[in-house]
Amino acid sequence: MPELDRREFLKLVGVGAGAAAAAGCSERVEHLIPYVVQPEVMTPGIAIYYASTCRECPAACGLHVRTREGRPVKLEGNPEHPVSKGSLCARGQVSIGRTYHPDRYTTPMSRGADGKLAPVSWEEAIRTLADKLRQGAAGAALLGGDPGPTASQVLDRWVAAVGASGRVVYEPFAQESLREAVKTLFGVESEPVFDLSQADLVLSFGSDFMETGPSPNEHMRQLAEARDVRAKEHGGARFVYLGPRLSMTASNADEWIPSKPGTEGILALAVLRAAMDSGLTADRTALGGLLDGVDAARAAARTGVDAKTIQRLGAAVARAKSLVALPPTAGLSSRRASATAAAVLLLDHAAGAVARTVLLPAETERTKRPSYHELLALVDAMKSGKVSVLLVHDANPVHSMPPGTGFREALAKVPFLVSFAPIKDETSEQAHLVLPDLTPLESWGDASPRPGVRSLLQPTIRPLYGTRAMVDVLLEAGRSLGDEVAAKLPPGNMRSILETAWAGEDFRKALARGGSFAASLPTHEHVALSSAVAKLEVSEPLLEGEGDYVLLAHPSPLLGDGRSAALPWMQEVPDPVTKVTWNSWVELSHATARRLGVEIGDVLALKTAAGTLEVQAFPRGGIRDDVVAVAVGQGHTVGWYASHEMEGRPGEARGVNVIAALPAAVDEAGGRAWFTTKVQLAKTGRSEPFAVSQTQDNQRDRSIGAALPLAALAAGAAAPAEAVPAAPEHGARGGEESAYQEEIHVPFDPVLDAAQNSPYRWGMTIDVDRCTGCSACVAACYIENNSPIVGEDQVRWGRLMAWLRIERWVGDGVVEDIPGWPRERNHEELGKVDIRHTPMMCQQCGAAPCEPVCPVFATYHNPEGLNGMVYNRCIGTRYCSNNCPYKVRRFNWYDFSLENWPKPLHLMLNPDVTVRAQGVMEKCTYCTQRIEIARQPAKDQKRLIRDGEVITACAQACPTQAITFGNLKDPESNVSKKRQEPVRGYVALQGLNTRPATLYLAKVVRGPVEG
Amino acid sequence: MTPPPAMSVAAMMRPPTQAPESPANRDLLAVMGRPSLYYWLLLIFLVVFVHAVGAVWLFQVYKGLGIAGYKHPVFWGVYIVTFVFWVGIAHAGTLISAILYLFRSKWRNAINRSAEAMTVFAVLTAAQFLGIHVGRIWKSYFILPYPNQRGLWVNFKSPLVWDTFAISTYATISILFLFVGLIPDIAIARDRSTGWRRLLYTALSFGWVGTAKQWKAFNRAVLHLSGLATPLVLSVHSVVSWDFAMSIVPTWHSTIFAPYFVAGAIFSGFAMVLTVMIPVRRIFALEAYITEYHLENMARFILLTSLIVGYSYGMEFFMAWYSGSEFERSAWWYRAFGDYWISAWVMISCNAIFPNILWFKWARTNVTILFIVSVLVNIGMWFERYVIIVIGLSHEFNPDVWNHYLPSLPELTILAGSFAFFAMFFVIFIKLFPVVAIAEVKELVIHEKAHHGGGAVAHGEMH
Repeated sequence: MPELDRREFLKLVGVGAGAAAAAGCSERVEHLIPYVVQPEVMTPGIAIYYASTCRECPAACGLHVRTREGRPVKLEGNPEHPVSKGSLCARGQVSIGRTYHPDRYTTPMSRGADGKLAPVSWEEAIRTLADKLRQGAAGAALLGGDPGPTASQVLDRWVAAVGASGRVVYEPFAQESLREAVKTLFGVESEPVFDLSQADLVLSFGSDFMETGPSPNEHMRQLAEARDVRAKEHGGARFVYLGPRLSMTASNADEWIPSKPGTEGILALAVLRAAMDSGLTADRTALGGLLDGVDAARAAARTGVDAKTIQRLGAAVARAKSLVALPPTAGLSSRRASATAAAVLLLDHAAGAVARTVLLPAETERTKRPSYHELLALVDAMKSGKVSVLLVHDANPVHSMPPGTGFREALAKVPFLVSFAPIKDETSEQAHLVLPDLTPLESWGDASPRPGVRSLLQPTIRPLYGTRAMVDVLLEAGRSLGDEVAAKLPPGNMRSILETAWAGEDFRKALARGGSFAASLPTHEHVALSSAVAKLEVSEPLLEGEGDYVLLAHPSPLLGDGRSAALPWMQEVPDPVTKVTWNSWVELSHATARRLGVEIGDVLALKTAAGTLEVQAFPRGGIRDDVVAVAVGQGHTVGWYASHEMEGRPGEARGVNVIAALPAAVDEAGGRAWFTTKVQLAKTGRSEPFAVSQTQDNQRDRSIGAALPLAALAAGAAAPAEAVPAAPEHGARGGEESAYQEEIHVPFDPVLDAAQNSPYRWGMTIDVDRCTGCSACVAACYIENNSPIVGEDQVRWGRLMAWLRIERWVGDGVVEDIPGWPRERNHEELGKVDIRHTPMMCQQCGAAPCEPVCPVFATYHNPEGLNGMVYNRCIGTRYCSNNCPYKVRRFNWYDFSLENWPKPLHLMLNPDVTVRAQGVMEKCTYCTQRIEIARQPAKDQKRLIRDGEVITACAQACPTQAITFGNLKDPESNVSKKRQEPVRGYVALQGLNTRPATLYLAKVVRGPVEG
Repeated sequence: MTPPPAMSVAAMMRPPTQAPESPANRDLLAVMGRPSLYYWLLLIFLVVFVHAVGAVWLFQVYKGLGIAGYKHPVFWGVYIVTFVFWVGIAHAGTLISAILYLFRSKWRNAINRSAEAMTVFAVLTAAQFLGIHVGRIWKSYFILPYPNQRGLWVNFKSPLVWDTFAISTYATISILFLFVGLIPDIAIARDRSTGWRRLLYTALSFGWVGTAKQWKAFNRAVLHLSGLATPLVLSVHSVVSWDFAMSIVPTWHSTIFAPYFVAGAIFSGFAMVLTVMIPVRRIFALEAYITEYHLENMARFILLTSLIVGYSYGMEFFMAWYSGSEFERSAWWYRAFGDYWISAWVMISCNAIFPNILWFKWARTNVTILFIVSVLVNIGMWFERYVIIVIGLSHEFNPDVWNHYLPSLPELTILAGSFAFFAMFFVIFIKLFPVVAIAEVKELVIHEKAHHGGGAVAHGEMH
């Protein structure tokens, strides 16, 4: 090219390169801006923990809120708090997402002339509310959850000051029947507190105490303490579950007796009678004629439990030193709930449990309690037009009230509905005025789950938006009504009122501790049976409607009454029983499914007198033939995650709201009854696949979730030499010993899998005997490690991003089951319980199959024995996952972290953990970021990291302390000591010789209780 | 490959344009003649289709591999299946060119060119799939060991690194092989072309005029390349098989894999040569040069390798039982009777059952039957890789995650695109270069004449 000389060429090259460079610089420039004035307590990069209280359910567990640079990023249990003692359940873990929820109202909203909610200023909003109150405060009513004792008192004073008609506390699973039962039996006002930690026999009469009820986390911990095989003789407490369905709670029992639902009271009396026959010394005269005519044979016919079993249970009760019998939780509370609960408490009383393991707290201060009949009265008032202003806070009655109560119609007659919901829900979307409350992490407040426990809430972040505390808003509106009203109201705001209320305590100290906790529970020590006992009418439940089946609407362990459905993690963490995500399902027995000709995923129509539901079938072995069960909590039509809005179908319900098919029924005490109706089933012919996380519950004898009988444990403890499992009896060799087998079964020392000069080899033990399947660890892992949620469709593709999952195995499994052959997916059997909940995450193998196959060293062995994962190196060949026998690696099929995190959820990302990009592999690394956080101070002080300084997120969350993490090179560490269990210890898929650093401790099969 | 003895050195030294036209030159160069309308339509279709598939791939790069049908734990799917398939196809060329050359199997001369061309195109197609498969193609150069400032180095323990070397080596050698073999024929084409073609051929023929010295050098080059390529025939697919055999996945972790994969590769390679050559032979009237004799010989190879492959299938099932390993047994039951039973039985019937018809001479000499069998073998061999990779992964150690993978539409589109990509190159090649090695066919004709006084190329006449 003659026309292009050298200089010209160089010029062109320069221009071209400059243009290319400029084009390559299109990425947004971001700045890290340092504090101009750095807050004194805050060092960038160092977390600050604040004590607070979880408000996700009434249990009120203590929190330590981990904040980074002014933002809460993780919730952990407060070890000082008497309720949870350091752990935090799944719902509590993810409740942090409320603060950063995309559905939050950012300003007050007022319904305009066009019928749509539009933002207004606080001044205008409060003026509107005040105007409405001025027009007729007598027509104003407050409806909402329990806001805590201090706020509750403020609300009561507010109601009195402005002259409102009243205040109703609403809690869908309140179980007023329990109080009523105590009142009937003992004549005292008290809500029983069950202490399982000292029990040696736990009888759950349909009580799903690990999922719902007064304090699931606490009860799980207590039961694990009572059943600690290391500390207690003979495997500790025995746990028998009597109920129609193998719930998560039931799956942890030693024995499951599938009794007819609603007959728990009859059963309890029969067991009491049998216990007396077996020598239980109890005062029969106090019972009057209650036990006359009660015998095992007759009870057997009514309850579906054979007489021998009843007698055996009776004998066990008679022999038990410390019994806890738990009355049914909400799902099984029938129209006879009070009598049923009374019968069960009577058993407790007769066995001497009352005031020992069943405590009746003496209530000193009375705050307003949930009352369903007050709520029904309010609904009546609304219907008759007496309510002109309804103020709703912390409740979603449009979703959670049965249609038979007419709540929706009544609400339509209320001319002015005010909602304080911080996150939009079905009720707030109907409101005329939305005055968004702060989320618990932004609020001042307190909670008192039981006498003697006063727990504090403190703000851990400046309100993210211009939202205000409900109490402050109400006070301001009240004060604007005039000086007369203002004088009756407490001065100051929520914070100052709280400090006043806590005047008797050192407030700052209480804030640091998380509250003030009495050493013991003040209880009624000596209670005598009242004469009303004799008149107790324990009978079958009264069921409405027609049909061959009864409908069990049970609380969901993850969604609660539905309030946690807005939190995406609770949708994506699989249900502990069915492993279904993002949807509803109806559980029915295999026999029922065969009779109807339905398979898993086929849509069934459930018809009751109150309504019809269409919901996918989940046939399983763990439910009675005459029962179908649907979990409460889904079926929301409002919410980015709660409804199908995130999939682009706003207004469409996700799953079904089973409450819509329940009649408006109450028990004897006027409390809400849930187990009330028969149901007809019909096939619709449609089918929709479930998004399940686990496709098989048959582990085919592969020892992933292992168990061994108590006898083997006792024998092994006597002679702990034989740690090596027997050679499998299979193959052409017929199970003969070979050098090959010996080689792979020689116990190894995981310590050798770290560098010789490293002082650490991180390791873990997971006690399958303690794992209840509650999934707190799974939720904690999501939050700690910035794991994206992927949505129902992607879960169907198996693209869950959980680094930790709980595998739920039914027994040892059946090898003969031909894989892939048409078969029943669920191997549970009625009346049998051998469920092994096995948390599965990266095992940090010493001889990791994933490591040699990575072409670019993106996954590698670090000197401390961990399988490191360098995201930036990964090119995404995915070979590591193919070669991982545990299948714990996850791949970023899309840019999940960007696509599925609507703002402002990104603000809660843990800054210590990389957010993974599209196309890279990821997995658990034993919370390596927490190890690094502990390393620096240790280095500064020229010492090693101490045992207990690093607790992984999963271990921290676990209510039963099933997970222990630590340094295996330190023989004194907790984890090293826990590994000294030659009989129970096993590694998953042992024959592969992957040398995992995670040691599982086998579940102990304690067997049915002896008569 | 000695120079045609019938031609004197003096004759070869004559300016080529003055050489009298030979029928072989005429017939074989006629293939390269002015393309018909159908040719153009086909070519345009292929080019457009390949670009459309390229757009699908770009969308996948942008959006993420989620648009493919991957289901945990099946993290390798159609892309790797197709990769192995095309690597397998690539084996016939080198086998025919190198091993049969060293064994002096003269019948190969009629098919070696097309087989070599197929090899190159198949390797190119296969290589695409390594890029299509990975999660971050923009970082895929991390897999190459070169000094860099990031302190990155590759893991030489990883079979994927071996694979990278094996494939790139194989691509280099097969391109060289194809090109060196083409030089005398390009010279012939050069002498008969004008315009841009003449420029191209002049450049590519490296001044070939057919002197004895050039023939000597040529023969030596081919001999040495054959020597280099022969171990590659065995090594490349062995390395590819180790991508699987070096893992611990039940049904993958097996010592039989290397010979089994090599046999399968030759099997599929020959089948692909038949699938391609039978229509080409018909369309361009090359029956005289690619005769039934050649086809029958290939059929014999297919039969032999089918037996090896069938034996391997049987052996794998036997070992699954004999090992006594629950994992292996379960996986094999699942393979045969599980969710993917159709794939498994397509594989077994197409690869181990149907080819047995080739025991009969009437079947081996029936072009229609051969064509059908070759297509079935191609289908069967694709399914073989599908069965090994996908079924193996979907039924591993931990039953918790067992899952049923099915290819998604984008994956199938890209699979179809790979055939179009391969065909596009072949269609272009047919019109640019002699599809049958002219010089070598002439040599064959002379031999036939010398031994049988006619023979395979009955009406061929040499000058």
